[in-house]
Amino acid sequence: MNDRSVDTAKRPFSRLFPYEWRMMTPLLAVMVIILAYPIVYSAWLSFRNVDLTRPGRDAFAGFDQYAAVLKQPLYWTALTNTFIFVAVAVTLELILGMALAVSLKKQKRFRNLTRAILLTPMFVTPIAVGLMFRFLLNNQLGLVPAILQKLGISIDFFSADLALLSLALIDVWQWTPFMMLMLLAGLENLPEEPHEAAYVDGANAWQTFIRVTVPMMKPIILVAVLIRALDALKVFEYVYAITRGGPGSATETLQFFVYKIGFGYYRLSEAAAVSWTVVILVMAVLVLSLWRTTRGRSA
Amino acid sequence: MRAYRAKSLLWTWVRVAFLWAAVLVVLFPYTWVVLSSFKSPADLSNPTKLLFAPVPDNWERVFAGGITNNFALSLIVGLATVLITLLVGTPAAYAISHYAVGGRLTRFGILLAELIPPSVLVVPLFLVSYYLKVNGMVIPVIVAHLTFVLPVVTWFLISFFDDIPRDLEQAAMIDGCTRFQAFLKVVLPQVMPGLGAAAIFGFVLSWNDMFYALILGGETAKTLPVAIAGYNTFRGVQLGEMSVAILVSVLPTLILSFFIQRRMIRGIGGGGVKG
Amino acid sequence: MKKSVFRMLALVLSAALVLGACTRGGGGDGGAGSTDGTGQTETVTLKVIMEEVPDTDIVMGMLDEFNQAHPNIRLDIEALPYDQMRDKIVASFLAPRATYDLIVVDNPWMYDFASAGYLEPLDDRIQQAGDAYNYEDFAKPLRDIAEVDGKVYGIPFYNYALGLIYRTDLFEEQGLQAPKTLDELMDAARKLKSGDRAGIAMTPQRGYKVFEEWGNWLFAAGGAIQDEAGNIVLDSPQAREALTKYIQTYKEAAPANSLNWAFDEALRATAGGQAAMMLSYNWMLPTLNNPDGPAGELAGKFGLAEVPGGKAVLGAWFWSIPANSNNKDAAWTFVHWLTSPEQDKQRVIAGGAPVRDSVMDDPQVHEQGFGKDYYATVKEILKDASPLGDGPGAEEMIQAVGLELSAAVSGQKSVDQAIADAAKQAREIMSK
Repeated sequence: MNDRSVDTAKRPFSRLFPYEWRMMTPLLAVMVIILAYPIVYSAWLSFRNVDLTRPGRDAFAGFDQYAAVLKQPLYWTALTNTFIFVAVAVTLELILGMALAVSLKKQKRFRNLTRAILLTPMFVTPIAVGLMFRFLLNNQLGLVPAILQKLGISIDFFSADLALLSLALIDVWQWTPFMMLMLLAGLENLPEEPHEAAYVDGANAWQTFIRVTVPMMKPIILVAVLIRALDALKVFEYVYAITRGGPGSATETLQFFVYKIGFGYYRLSEAAAVSWTVVILVMAVLVLSLWRTTRGRSA
Repeated sequence: MRAYRAKSLLWTWVRVAFLWAAVLVVLFPYTWVVLSSFKSPADLSNPTKLLFAPVPDNWERVFAGGITNNFALSLIVGLATVLITLLVGTPAAYAISHYAVGGRLTRFGILLAELIPPSVLVVPLFLVSYYLKVNGMVIPVIVAHLTFVLPVVTWFLISFFDDIPRDLEQAAMIDGCTRFQAFLKVVLPQVMPGLGAAAIFGFVLSWNDMFYALILGGETAKTLPVAIAGYNTFRGVQLGEMSVAILVSVLPTLILSFFIQRRMIRGIGGGGVKG
Repeated sequence: MKKSVFRMLALVLSAALVLGACTRGGGGDGGAGSTDGTGQTETVTLKVIMEEVPDTDIVMGMLDEFNQAHPNIRLDIEALPYDQMRDKIVASFLAPRATYDLIVVDNPWMYDFASAGYLEPLDDRIQQAGDAYNYEDFAKPLRDIAEVDGKVYGIPFYNYALGLIYRTDLFEEQGLQAPKTLDELMDAARKLKSGDRAGIAMTPQRGYKVFEEWGNWLFAAGGAIQDEAGNIVLDSPQAREALTKYIQTYKEAAPANSLNWAFDEALRATAGGQAAMMLSYNWMLPTLNNPDGPAGELAGKFGLAEVPGGKAVLGAWFWSIPANSNNKDAAWTFVHWLTSPEQDKQRVIAGGAPVRDSVMDDPQVHEQGFGKDYYATVKEILKDASPLGDGPGAEEMIQAVGLELSAAVSGQKSVDQAIADAAKQAREIMSK
């Protein structure tokens, strides 16, 4: 026991290092080791030239890695693809998630069963989701194209035009439940009065939803979209399982790009530099959007 | 009024149809995988064949191929990750919730860790693990999993502690407990259900990761997701066996998910609600 | 110095062998034999990394026999899917104590691994092995890959050179011969397409696959990837012609929506009768003609020919010993044993892909293996096959070119643009 009695609070050690901070110490220590140290290490690497198959070349490189990264057309393709993926996936997830949450809230029969089933996709390992859909949508072995073919429709879900969209739809299958879960939590915590007031004023359901529900839900929608967007940025398993970035560079995404450079070609410094450009970009977008919302609130 | 009622009845039908359609969309891939796992290679080439003679071959081959090892490794990694997370995260979550240590900065700062993409962390973890001669073992995989499980689970725990009345600790201390005893014996039992849910959620996160396990783990740390990915190499795909492997990995998390769904709503949104 | 150490170890090893034989002959006095006072040669356990492929299974099946000859060397083989191998190998190179004592190396990795100093040169050991080992017997293109800056860093394990696999019955029906030129290939593909059967199953998947297939078209059109000096000569009229024809054939005669197809899909289509031919690994022929194999009742109706033009894309795996291996001599003992003419013959009879000319000529192999024609064709294929990349950054060069080719096939880029970009990138990568 570190803490023999209440009067320890009078000892100088306890004053300098109070109870609540002692409770925090293990967490902070572990966070420093597993997060802070690798982050600093990774930043340091991005200014060097570590290439595992060319061990003799390690030296300080300044911003060379960053310059080299920004010059690659494939980097920009990966960046664009990733942002399209995130935008499409998260938008659809928000719309569908909201529709499901509203429907579930009003549901009376089979309530627990439907909820339990609808939530399952987010608990499936993403690589399994990727592989399931790879073969479900595969022209040779997949059920979906086989059915469509009988209807006279021939679609290649993983063609250059459709592949990124297909991957986004797979993300929608897996992660709409998360959006639904958060929005449902929000809906169930909403007070009833404003809705009743709107009803009395003669607003129909849709008007009430748009004018009353959505504004009250704004904070939780923001948080949900933020969490999903940050997570969708890390898309890797679907690409790894299905397209490997192809056809051409149609599904080259950032995390896969980093994986390829770092662990396909072993240019660890370049991989670190790519990752850092992403961090910086995401931070910038976040700060900007937070700044705008807070400004909007005070205005 | 009648028109309104008819309209609302229509809406009810639309709503119900929508929900059941969603349920079907969710169940569809599972059904297909279950069917595939019992199909012979010849039947697998015929995706629309729903009536077929089920064969146990795929299951036998996958279990003979040592998937139980991968299962055990996933279990070890997940349990170790969760254990460390709870040991470290619980007291901290309590301190953040009840003493507001470091104010809002710590409460939300914990989630900042989620902003760091795995691609930033994986390179240093890879290098350090071979400097320390632990490359290919489960240790680097556990450490990597901690980087995302620890912040999220702590964030969950904060919200569960938020629901505990503040004076509970005081009351226990009047009864003669030290503060830490009060925390262990009085406060902790109150959050046990939440703690359990958070632990399960953390376990599922670790169980489902492939990126870190793929890069950092060797044969001695080949978790289930990596094993599943192994059925899909560019030299050939064994669809039937892969389906079995997918089911082996998915069933435990699906079962676990039923236990924690209700509490997850509180956990996910909760940490921020009170702050 | 090195040689004398080697000789000493060889002596110790052979001594151990004799002792091992004695204890076994002595009638079961303690199976753990070698640890007792006088014998004192310890059992060495070699940690080996291999790919999860049938050729690895064949090697595993030969371990018992190896242990009868060398009871003090145990092998602990870790078989991984292709994607998961290379990280592990490179991590092992860097580790202070190697994870692997013996590795297999894919041909595009050879130059980078060897020139970084990660691999042990094998020249001395090969020389020691002498005439009985007959190193020159390995097909020359294979030996060329293993030689980096004048030194040998790998012993050929098995080849995966490409050949044309075709349905003999359908060719006969149409009165066709195995195509010798690109135009004949295109013609055959068009003629053999009917209803739900494609003329040719192709593998335009981005990266290695599309390049591995198209490379044969490039060679057939008279083009090349690198010249004698190793310079990239990819931006040639021949390359543009080959790619134009490749895309045309894909559109006219390949299965619908097969843009992401790789080896597996093409094999399945061909085995299932949905395609009349494919360019694939030569050793797929026995698999297809096996009545218990994927082709079922179509087994026996497949033939193997050299790719049109006669010059094929060569892939091969090699045995290499990491420079930081803990047991180099034991590793070599195993490699030497396994790749010796006698054992290599056994390996090929068991179904392994051949690498030695003498084995491919051996009547016993013909008889117990897959017949004389097959081995004769493979020998012809190997004679002048050429890898996709040789030199620094080969792996990355292949991926980059494969991306451009895939972009052209999927219509994201024009043929001219794709070839120009591919050549430019290949040059940049290989000069880094």
